[in-house]
Amino acid sequence: MKVLVKDKINTALNRLAENSQVYVPVHREGGSRFAPWPTVPGDELALDSLNTMFSPKEVVLPQTEKMYTFAARGQSVEIKETGEERKERVVFGVRACDSKAIAALDEVFLTRGYEDGFYKARREPLIIIGKACTQPGPNCFCSAMGVDPLEPDPVDVIIYDLGDAYGWEPRSERGQKLTQSLGDILADRDFQKPSAGEFQLQVDINGLPEKLAGMFEHPLWEELAEPCMNCGICTYLCPSCYCFDIQVKNRGTEGYRFRCWDSCMYPEYTMMAGGHNPRGSKHERFRNRFLHKLEFFQERYGTSLCTGCGRCIVACPQGINIVSIIKRLQEVELDVR
Amino acid sequence: MKELTDRVRQTARKLLDGQQVDLVLGWEKGPEPFRSQPVFIREPEEAEQLVFDEFCIHNLSTFLLDYRDGQEKIGIFVKGCDSRGVVRLIEDNQFLRERLYIIGIGCPGMKDPLAAARAASGLNGTEENEGLAAKCRECMYPNPVLYDELIGDEQPPHLEGERFAQVKKLEGMSAEERWQFFSDMFSRCIRCYACRNVCVACNCRRCIFDETRPQWVGRETNLMDNIGYHVIRAMHVAGRCVECGECERVCPVGIPLMLLNRKLIKDVNELFGPYEASLKLEEEASPPLSVYRPDDPDNFL
Repeated sequence: MKVLVKDKINTALNRLAENSQVYVPVHREGGSRFAPWPTVPGDELALDSLNTMFSPKEVVLPQTEKMYTFAARGQSVEIKETGEERKERVVFGVRACDSKAIAALDEVFLTRGYEDGFYKARREPLIIIGKACTQPGPNCFCSAMGVDPLEPDPVDVIIYDLGDAYGWEPRSERGQKLTQSLGDILADRDFQKPSAGEFQLQVDINGLPEKLAGMFEHPLWEELAEPCMNCGICTYLCPSCYCFDIQVKNRGTEGYRFRCWDSCMYPEYTMMAGGHNPRGSKHERFRNRFLHKLEFFQERYGTSLCTGCGRCIVACPQGINIVSIIKRLQEVELDVR
Repeated sequence: MKELTDRVRQTARKLLDGQQVDLVLGWEKGPEPFRSQPVFIREPEEAEQLVFDEFCIHNLSTFLLDYRDGQEKIGIFVKGCDSRGVVRLIEDNQFLRERLYIIGIGCPGMKDPLAAARAASGLNGTEENEGLAAKCRECMYPNPVLYDELIGDEQPPHLEGERFAQVKKLEGMSAEERWQFFSDMFSRCIRCYACRNVCVACNCRRCIFDETRPQWVGRETNLMDNIGYHVIRAMHVAGRCVECGECERVCPVGIPLMLLNRKLIKDVNELFGPYEASLKLEEEASPPLSVYRPDDPDNFL
């Protein structure tokens, strides 16, 4: 068995960075996040915190991404693709909730008959080094959402915190290769995998998607949505919210098309060309977010789109708590139809 | 505060029992000790849910906008800053005074449940719980300025030191330093619009940032589009900001929005003042930037 002694973390990251773009969790004023290694001044490697405030989805789905540029050249138009260069990328220290979210993004962008080229270009060369979570935080409930905090998936390597070192376990062919390339930095040592700590937050999602299918018009949504102010914090901090908009910028005879995150909390999100908004009220927008997480995604892909990371619970200015909401929904007694 | 909670519950029950109001806006306890959060109650027995404690920091007046097209009579609990928010809405013709029963509470200063949640979350390293919330440490008007009924004791202002100290520091910077400062701040913005949505002065039915034809501000998350957003936002609330500090409190990336708002408060004061937004409800009152006077200063044009 291999371990990475903590004193050698920097050496290992430097080695990886020789051939790849490496992302690590950092503390930064304005919120912890995954950022490139070597870190810039102000960023501080944060492998020991529970997780990052901003999720690693930015690595595969940046908030703003140029798609192509165009320019009028006389009677013709010149179009240039501006997609990312394909190069190997390594993201280090991804927790199980966030890797489950990447699995969900993979479903959306790579399956069901259409592959999103921009996503694929970032995702395919990505090596994920997952970190087993042993001590759930006060807002963590991944286990309730069917995630094993000790088994991030998909990953290429899993690391286990052993105190002075990280237990190092390759989980894929690419992970094996990566392990070999770090051969002189990793040490041989037997270790026992740590076990998971106890979750403070528990919630039962049994039967919830089926139940929600009959609750679209339930008056509870209006009550639950009342404190919501329809900002985009929950959707932008969420590791699995993936909605984006495609927009364009023109300057004279040239310009570019880009895509950027969008949020179902915004009225503009569903605004139609004719001026009609099918989700015109705040409770309809609120309902959509929860139904997408807990019902629609389950119906289409067979898994929940909420992975229990708890970020939205921490950051909601009005204290909206998805666990409390699931509990309220579960308490509702529906007439048998 | 236990006593205040009792008074809050009694008052809400009385209002709902007597059908004086259809709805009461107050605070309830969430799952954690530091979680107080907005609650909207319609039945007298629900009054038992209400609390008033050191975490009731949310400015509830903004929520009135959700009911501006309705007929309901609404009971609302307000601290000093929240009451200025109510004045803002009435002055902006967004709400009728007659539809409100306002219960004022002298505010001893609040702690921020969001800051507490972040500190406890394990997501931001060694972030410390800050005690009295930043916005409350700047507070000059803790006592409600408009109410039908007042509960609790009058409170002294919490501001220590000079109100515009930070603004003056900013004004003292060179243009390059200021550009660097704001570039650092605004490049962080994730465009979640929480600062706009929580703002009681942001009460336009159609917000410029939601417009698509034309699209006044680009949707890219980059410095230029972010600056476009923040400068327009700040200018739109100039002379109308009630200094409740909610924008800065809810910002998930810690942009010091009140610094910008306070700079504009200072400018409005110097150019058109003395002026304090929404300190009392006056017939036909309008904020300085909504009024034209032939003797308005124009030396900046």
